[in-house]
Amino acid sequence: MYSKIAINNVKMSFRDYAIYFLTLTLAVCIFYSFNSIESQNAILELNKNATFMLTLNKLIAGTSIFVSFVLGGLIIYANKFLIKKRKKELGIYMTLGMSKGKISIILLFETFLIGTVSLVAGILLGIIGSQGLSILVANILSVDMDKYKFVISSSAVIKSILYFGIIFLLVMIFNQFTISKYKLIDMLNAAKKNEEVKLKNAFVSVLLFMLSMVLLTIAYTRILKTGLNADNTELLVTITIGFIGTLLFFFSLSNFFVHIVQKSKRIYLKDINIFIIRQINNKINTNFLSMTLICLMLFVTITLLFAAFDLKGTIDRNSAGNRDYDASAFLIVDNKNENTMVNDIEEYLNAINFKFSTNEKHAFYSEYKLNITIEDLLSKYLSMQEQIHLEQNYLGGKISAITISDYNSIIKLNGYDPIELKKNEVLVVSNYSRVNSALPDYMKNENIINIENKAYTIKNQAPIEENIKVTGGNEFFYLVIPDNFSGDLQLEFTSFNVIYDDNNYENSEEKFSNLFNNLFEDKYRDINPALVIGSTKNQIQDKDNGFAALIVFLGLFLGLIFIISSAAIMALQQLSDASDSLERYKSLKKIGVTEKLINKAILRQSLIYFLLPLGLAVIHSIVGISAVNNIFTFHYQSIIVSSSLLLIIYGAYFYATYAGVKNIINNSN
Amino acid sequence: MQNILSVEKIEKYYGNKGNITKAIDNISFRVSKGEFLGIMGPSGSGKTTLLNCISTIDNVTTGKIIINNKDITVLKAKALEEFRRDELGFIFQDFNLLDTLSAYENIALALTIQKRDVKEIDHLIKNVAKKLEITEILNKFPFQLSGGQKQRVACARALVTDPSLILADEPTGALDSKSARLLLDSFEKLNKEYQSTILMVTHDSFTASYANRILFIKDGRIFNEIIRGNDTRKEFFNKIIEVVTLLGGDVGNVL
Repeated sequence: MYSKIAINNVKMSFRDYAIYFLTLTLAVCIFYSFNSIESQNAILELNKNATFMLTLNKLIAGTSIFVSFVLGGLIIYANKFLIKKRKKELGIYMTLGMSKGKISIILLFETFLIGTVSLVAGILLGIIGSQGLSILVANILSVDMDKYKFVISSSAVIKSILYFGIIFLLVMIFNQFTISKYKLIDMLNAAKKNEEVKLKNAFVSVLLFMLSMVLLTIAYTRILKTGLNADNTELLVTITIGFIGTLLFFFSLSNFFVHIVQKSKRIYLKDINIFIIRQINNKINTNFLSMTLICLMLFVTITLLFAAFDLKGTIDRNSAGNRDYDASAFLIVDNKNENTMVNDIEEYLNAINFKFSTNEKHAFYSEYKLNITIEDLLSKYLSMQEQIHLEQNYLGGKISAITISDYNSIIKLNGYDPIELKKNEVLVVSNYSRVNSALPDYMKNENIINIENKAYTIKNQAPIEENIKVTGGNEFFYLVIPDNFSGDLQLEFTSFNVIYDDNNYENSEEKFSNLFNNLFEDKYRDINPALVIGSTKNQIQDKDNGFAALIVFLGLFLGLIFIISSAAIMALQQLSDASDSLERYKSLKKIGVTEKLINKAILRQSLIYFLLPLGLAVIHSIVGISAVNNIFTFHYQSIIVSSSLLLIIYGAYFYATYAGVKNIINNSN
Repeated sequence: MQNILSVEKIEKYYGNKGNITKAIDNISFRVSKGEFLGIMGPSGSGKTTLLNCISTIDNVTTGKIIINNKDITVLKAKALEEFRRDELGFIFQDFNLLDTLSAYENIALALTIQKRDVKEIDHLIKNVAKKLEITEILNKFPFQLSGGQKQRVACARALVTDPSLILADEPTGALDSKSARLLLDSFEKLNKEYQSTILMVTHDSFTASYANRILFIKDGRIFNEIIRGNDTRKEFFNKIIEVVTLLGGDVGNVL
């Protein structure tokens, strides 16, 4: 009997439940997709790298718990809205003599029904969606798709059911609690209650609005000045100021706005603008807290998505010149120790009995430090920000150098012809020009470098952008100096580069990666105490790709959850508000407002309501992104991908809301 | 006298074949400019249906309704919306004021949806407010007003567009007797001093006694018609009571 009422209720109020259902399904779908990733083939390819898999699994598990808290909050909030909307209906049940316990049972059935249907639909959708995600991840990881297979992850299914099961259980308990609190009279009169405008005084609202503007400006300048380099307390202060500014902005905005618009009679007294403005004023004023929350959530999402997509781009771009050899290693020279045994990598390799086979082309070379720093060199062309950036990327300090004969021997591995260098000439090898224009400006304006009061002409017009070794680092800067360089030279590294033979690639790769892993684990300490670090091109690629995948992955996961959560809250608020304002729309119709005008009013309201938090979030993000700009450099591609993702989901919710509100109002008579 | 409204042989049926309810059964009457017509009848007599037909909210089955030389029964939906907006003013039992707007804004809304020039709006509102003595409360919100004040604001909203015909549906229904009397005084003043044409539906004899002429409706037909002529309101009220008694029913509403 009760289940029958429950089923009919869900069927009848499907319109009200549509957005709720949609959100639940989407949430389950996203949750499943991301949790299923560990069984996806693309990732299985990476399974060879055990530590990466462990990190990935841990991160997903942690994020899933966080996400389920967010979703739990969202679902309880949404559910509260639905109950509020049905207060009158529930009140009628009570006047008919149904006990609160029995009403609770009906609601229990309803939650169960909706939960089950959305869980099943979400998992089915997720199984399809995860295949797309798998392709995306494979793309990031540069894994070939030949081995692509349709996968259903049973562990992810179980996990989704478990997590959402717990959430729904909580919702049911929460419902019981809410119902037991209601009084019958309030339930029957629920429709008649009106929102109270909290802030009425024009002067105060203008003052608060100004204050919010000032606070936001302070927060912006602080973050732009120091970026994220500021220490934690400073950053916390900035974030707090920004938060309060945002809060006050939404608290005072609508009132301030009303007073401004009232001044312009031409807008104020056009069509039913009076009505629209008052409606929005009411709504924003009541919902300023959730508006603030949504705005901040969108801000985090936008920044997250940008950063995630961009990191991938940054890594790809930086790796370009860093991948010219198959493997390299360097020994960190201890200049206090005279023993060549611990300072020469060739002797080190002999000591641990490591031999190059004949088909592994290799070259040994030494890296020195010159008595000049990059800051000295480029100071005229660097801004404050760029100087800080320089130091953060370990590029600061003394300039590294390599002799021309060593340089020629390593480029010979790749089949390049040797370069001749006169005794007063140097070559610049650096990709620093990709970060900013200081180096190109320098090379254009002054083609001489002074080292210890001796002038050297820069031989090349533009810097050589190929690194001298394989490295996971981003930027590099070397000077190639003549063999008979007379200035002060301090030996820093002794190194080697290798190029494998194509026919024996796999064997060599295994041999060198084993060597480097052993070096990393300090296995030869007893034989030779020197510190040697090395990596193969493949190792670095896997590490970079894995890192990029991880960030993109988690960025997408959180970003998507945040977007649907904020859009769903907006949608639910709009819809519940539409039912509350039904009487007003009826009055409008009675005094002769045409349906066209009413639809226009609904569109404008929904649009303003949806765009306000997004607008401020976008401004926040622009500032925030410029602040982190010295960590990542942004690409158009990432802007397009992340904004279209945001717009599609947000836009879909906006449209669903607009259609829903229109439906409620136009079908009212 | 110029005819504002002519209702000619209208009928309104509900239901389908074999089970027809005649809500209005062949009613005809005319309202001249400057007239204050009351329509009375017990519940279920068809008076609200009649008002809905005249106000273009509902359409008739047969017959013609001509307002200001326009036959509204043949107008298309869009033309009807415009006609309702420009030619008719409504006063409802439950006021239908927008609670989010101030009194001023509520009145202004009627003008802005007619796309009136911004400059004349303020002037028109001030004028109508003076007529109805609500100038002091223009900046208040409906929840700050008494029932009577609300109804006078609603009245101002109906009047401000200068409609050919004002339709009032139980305007005193939600008011206490003092507020009702004040409102009806305003109606009388509007009708006498400003020549507004008012058509008022009511089942309250006291309210009806303010009209110039009263049509009694029963079972969808005109049952009786009385004209005030030179009677005082008290004499006219007594006549109304007589007819109401004759009509039967609704005795509870006589007092």
